[in-house]
Amino acid sequence: MNETILRTEGLKTFYILDVFGTQKVVKAVNNINLDIRTNEVYGIAGESGCGKTTLLKALAAAIEPPLRLVDGYIFYYVDGKPVDVSTLSPEAKRKLRLDYIAYVPQGSMSALNPVIKLKETYRDFIESHVSGKTKEETVAMAEQHITELGLPPKILEAYPHQLSGGMRQRVTIALAALMKPAIIIADEPTTALDVVVQRGVVQLLMDIQKKLKNTIILVTHDMGVQANIADRVGIMYAGKIVEESTTEKIYGDPQHPYTKFLINSLPQFGDKSPRQSVPGSPPSLIDLPSGCAFHPRCPHAMGICAEQTPELITLDTDHKVACWLVGGQHGKTA
Amino acid sequence: MTFVKRYLIPRLIQYVLVIWLGITVVFLIPRITPNDPVMRMIDQMQARGSTLEPGTMDAIIRDLTQMYGLEGSWLDQYWAFWGRLFRGDLGVSFFQFPTRVNKLIFTAMPWTLGLLLTTTAITWTLGNIIGGLAGYYSRKGWSRILDAVAMVVRPLPYYIFAFMLLLIFAYVVRWFPITGGASLGAIPTFTWAFIKDVLWHSALPAISLIVLGGAVTFQTMKLLVQNINAENFVQYAKLGGVKENRIVGKYVIRNALLPQITGLALGLGQIFSGALITEIVYGYPGLGMLLYRAIVNGDYNLIMGITIFSIFGITTAILIVDLTYPLFDPRVRYT
Ligand SMILES: Nc1ncnc2c1ncn2[C@@H]1O[C@H](COP(=O)(O)OP(=O)(O)O)[C@@H](O)[C@H]1O
Ligand code: SF4
Ligand SMILES: [Mg+2]
Repeated sequence: MNETILRTEGLKTFYILDVFGTQKVVKAVNNINLDIRTNEVYGIAGESGCGKTTLLKALAAAIEPPLRLVDGYIFYYVDGKPVDVSTLSPEAKRKLRLDYIAYVPQGSMSALNPVIKLKETYRDFIESHVSGKTKEETVAMAEQHITELGLPPKILEAYPHQLSGGMRQRVTIALAALMKPAIIIADEPTTALDVVVQRGVVQLLMDIQKKLKNTIILVTHDMGVQANIADRVGIMYAGKIVEESTTEKIYGDPQHPYTKFLINSLPQFGDKSPRQSVPGSPPSLIDLPSGCAFHPRCPHAMGICAEQTPELITLDTDHKVACWLVGGQHGKTA
Repeated sequence: MTFVKRYLIPRLIQYVLVIWLGITVVFLIPRITPNDPVMRMIDQMQARGSTLEPGTMDAIIRDLTQMYGLEGSWLDQYWAFWGRLFRGDLGVSFFQFPTRVNKLIFTAMPWTLGLLLTTTAITWTLGNIIGGLAGYYSRKGWSRILDAVAMVVRPLPYYIFAFMLLLIFAYVVRWFPITGGASLGAIPTFTWAFIKDVLWHSALPAISLIVLGGAVTFQTMKLLVQNINAENFVQYAKLGGVKENRIVGKYVIRNALLPQITGLALGLGQIFSGALITEIVYGYPGLGMLLYRAIVNGDYNLIMGITIFSIFGITTAILIVDLTYPLFDPRVRYT
């Protein structure tokens, strides 16, 4: 197995809101342990509102009020050595962005400054990380970068509104790869695009990964996209990872009832029976159900499910599940 | 070029039409109001105690009617009105008879333009810079303090604020003069002494305009910046490690300024009407004061003259905004 590139330990990040004088706490990331390796595509899946975007913000060291780091650690493995992100100065963090970790945010179709040409955006990104280049050298570097990724270099002369949504999305992703980062985080990069364009975007991500041999953390609620490109998948529910394994095991031998629902909701080739979606709706992260947060929607819920939270336990070396059905008594196999 | 055909020409036609319409309304209003300006003038003469013989009275009425362009049918008057306008003749003033309206306006105009162009420029620049920074650093203490100050200042009615300044700084502590645009008898020259005198007289009106106007610009800009700051492209630049000074200037402020540019031009267009209260409170000899006296004295020609100037001012300002806006915002570029 490859070495670790990013790790979290008991990570808790909550939105702490002040609503008309009373404090509301949205437990969007609630005790998450991740160990992400070099040269892998790690997929994160789960329904909308379960905290995926919030987790990515934390991983990208972009925790800003009202979001707070309540507990736990995030470690970046810069040159193989772990660095506790919370100890970094703002300038040190800024330097790591794009160099070590790049983030393609959700809704990145509007991620480009509308009043400047793409060439200018490229210059801003390059000149913030590389010094001592003339304007011409910078533009040449941008052109080369765009061309290498199979995009037409003439788009550098365009303003964002002159490009199609899919092209804007691809430029945004290309920009993330600019400084050859060790990790690229992409949040729902294919949502809101039509199928053909989606394929182009996924292909671009894969091309970049193959070229840089780096890590991609890909969030999408589209289980089909995950199945195609992820090496490992983490299933997120109500701020927690409830199951994590290799893509083969997640799809071939899912253990958690929620994972099974997600996979069953995938359209299958030749199967005409209507796809079932997960019954009910996700819980409020302000007022979580007791015990296993999935129990109000789970067809297998037992007495203990509403009382105690199941820990994420390791089944095989690379398969972890948090469910009372799996692995017997709490703690036995942990 | 399609820009000329599709945009410039229609826009210029619209500009001319709006001016034509506005000036036609200016022509019609005194003629459809029941107040007959000539009879009003005669009444004023009589009120001042002059007794007129019937023959003299008729002669005066005839002369006045001719002088004010009220002879013949409305259509005749309308043609004559435009004829005079094209010659740049706005007629004579009633209350400073027989001074020409043009002369009154051109004497008053530099005062108003000088005061309002300067204060508008200062207000806009300072309000946007401070508001922009306060919006970007909205969590900092100084930003919150400025916000609180703006919140207190802004709802003050302008004339009360202006009077307060006058009372404190011209009456109680006497740092500044009570009234006027320059000392009595001072001769307008390009000497340092005269300029100093003008600056000293315009300090209070300028401060009143800058403080209240600045509070509005500050608050608007702060809000705009806070909104832009949450936009995806700003977040993305931050996540890409773009240096902060670039983000503040090129990403946040530049986008937030777009609506403020429109606001600036519209503000400039309203200089003529905007000066009214300031000039009355501070006895400042500009167009606002002139308009005020024209209204009080029922001086139709003068009111019309000033109105025509402000119609030109406002429509031209809007035209300039429309024509230059594409330079700032590529999304509305007409290609
Ligand atoms: N800026 C915010 N302030 C308060 N609550 C937020 C904010 N952003 C997200 N949330 C809440 O946090 C929870 C998780 O949101 P998110 O991480 O966006 O989920 P996902 O990406 O899985 O859809 C949701 O309940 C959402 O309402
Ligand atoms: S712990 Fe209980 S409620 Fe939760 S998923 Fe497993 S069986 Fe269902
Ligand atoms: Mg999301």
